[in-house]
Amino acid sequence: MTDRSALSREPAGASLPARLVERLWDGLIALVDAPLAALQRLVGAERMAYFFLAPNLIFFGLFVFVPIGICIVYSVTGGAGIFPFARPYVGAQHYATLADCGSYLDPHSCQADHFWRGVRNTLIFSAFQLVAMVGVSLFTALALNRDIRARGFFRAAFFFPVLLSPVVVALIWKWILQRDGLLNAAITASGGQKILFFVEPGWAMFWAVFVSVWAHMGFYTLILLAGLQAIPRDIYEAAEMDGTKPLRVLTRLTLPLLWPNLLVVLVLVLIRAVQTFDEVFVLTGGGPGTATLMVVQFIYETAFANQTQNFGLASAASILLGGLLFVLTLLQLALARRKAA
Amino acid sequence: MAGLKLTKICKSYGRVDVLRDIDLEVPDGAFVVFVGPSGCGKSTLLRAIAGLERATSGRIEIDGRDVTDERASERGLAMVFQSYALYPHMSVRQNIAFALENMRLPRAEIAARVARAAQMLRLEPYLDRKPGALSGGQRQRVAIGRAVVRDPKIFLFDEPLSNLDAELRVATRKELAALHAEIGGTMIYVTHDQVEAMTLADRIVVLNAGRIEQTGAPLDLYNRPENRFVAGFIGSPRMNFLKGATTQDGRIAAQGFAPIDAPVARLLPAGAACEIGIRPEHVHLVDAQAADATAKVELVERLGGESFLYVRLADGAPLTVKSAEQTPARRGDEVALRLDPAHLHLFDEAGRARRLD
Repeated sequence: MTDRSALSREPAGASLPARLVERLWDGLIALVDAPLAALQRLVGAERMAYFFLAPNLIFFGLFVFVPIGICIVYSVTGGAGIFPFARPYVGAQHYATLADCGSYLDPHSCQADHFWRGVRNTLIFSAFQLVAMVGVSLFTALALNRDIRARGFFRAAFFFPVLLSPVVVALIWKWILQRDGLLNAAITASGGQKILFFVEPGWAMFWAVFVSVWAHMGFYTLILLAGLQAIPRDIYEAAEMDGTKPLRVLTRLTLPLLWPNLLVVLVLVLIRAVQTFDEVFVLTGGGPGTATLMVVQFIYETAFANQTQNFGLASAASILLGGLLFVLTLLQLALARRKAA
Repeated sequence: MAGLKLTKICKSYGRVDVLRDIDLEVPDGAFVVFVGPSGCGKSTLLRAIAGLERATSGRIEIDGRDVTDERASERGLAMVFQSYALYPHMSVRQNIAFALENMRLPRAEIAARVARAAQMLRLEPYLDRKPGALSGGQRQRVAIGRAVVRDPKIFLFDEPLSNLDAELRVATRKELAALHAEIGGTMIYVTHDQVEAMTLADRIVVLNAGRIEQTGAPLDLYNRPENRFVAGFIGSPRMNFLKGATTQDGRIAAQGFAPIDAPVARLLPAGAACEIGIRPEHVHLVDAQAADATAKVELVERLGGESFLYVRLADGAPLTVKSAEQTPARRGDEVALRLDPAHLHLFDEAGRARRLD
């Protein structure tokens, strides 16, 4: 397993503490090495991989695969019972409830109208967020890729919001946007009238998208910046020698060469937009009314927040959402593989 | 096509001076090679001419017009990069046509020019391929095609063969020479490979530490180097250098050798210290009776038509000997040597060459 003789080699003239640390290290290695070597003799070198994978697999299974399995069971069982064996089998009833719509374009005509409102809002949110996020991230990455002053500071500044918890982000912006918040104080100080951002549906959705873009654009900017920096500088110099105008450099060289990174960003943004919950929930609570209610919020409320907790219906909605995310993830993986190739 | 004139070009990065007072004239149609060791400033000089680097001071004229403050795109030059710098997402055809599209030439003319360049560079079978599907040599030809098609005032080449293997490098070198003969353009070529410099250039510019050491025809630089640096840099294997002095009887005493009657001895007063340079082909293997010195063989390189012997003189000085035939000498053998007095180079203590002519 380990070359102990190599590990125990001490540099000539090493100090006493260094030699002690070296000895201690050798002892620790020997402690781990002996049982592993015995195990390897028993199961063979090739099967050792399963042994090393097992802890992660058990952890993953316990907290990912088992809940998925439970969720599937819940989605085809009814009643208020928590344990699966206490829940009667109802087949596809919950899926039928979700799908029961006069017109899918009109949530009012649906039995689970909040679910379809959530779907509609999530689609609107995703579409606007996709355009805004990719546009802003691309613009920022292009700017940060130039030889500007304090480039390192700006890179850190744009990335900083990514490090914040979504709840903290939402609370900060709630404080800014509420009726007596910072923004309204600025508006009234400059002679304007207060705007009730969380009362008007259009404004609420706008700020939901804005805050989400503000919080996450640093991450996507970083991906695009990495892509931009991977474009060899001499390609731009060749373009300069070829007499290429800046706009043409952007459209004919930069964007096509950045396209693999852009595709990855597009899919990642879409996946995250479909999953959106915490920021919007804390910022608007899904309101006004159901104007910013997203699918995940519907699932959360149906399962845990409503007076009658309907785990079955929430699980069925989760499975549908999971299916969509699964497709998007496959797409992202395929794109990543194509990029690597 | 056009000539180029550089006047007192300097380039500094902060406190580091990369180019110092470069004065140079390149006549219309010449093939000039900048050569020098790594970090000597040759690529920086080429990029300053191209407009990709701004000279800190000095003046650049192309065809009599001051272009010092013009952008690279306005100078009408074409450059072939060391890395080829092809646009990877475009086909060979699109790569070659790109600059012409920038010039908004009619489609028919673009197609005609691309076809002509492709024919000249034997690229016709690859026009619809992407650069990633080409070999190194083919990519290099596309890069040259991209330059040729624009009909530039001056072609600039930045170590264009350094990414090719030895065989391809020789073949592409010949193609470049043929290209220059065919289109007759002014070409400025940067390399650290002196074989490329010697074989391609009408004129070589030897750079060292940001200064021009010597400018001249390849054989002029080889036969009549102006200083110790040029003498050592031009020629492969490099020139041998031996400490020496002139004797009272007007001869030259080179380190490890018996005093030699050489015409250059009269250039220095008797007893003056100097350095003696002699190329490996001018150190002859002779019989012991005719020898000026003996040396021990440390390594023999047999190339077939010629051999190189790396020997060490009795006082420890290393020497390279080129023999025009296959030598039987082996490592550890003692060989007798004689210097050709007509081909001795003499350098004073400042490293300047002292010549009779």
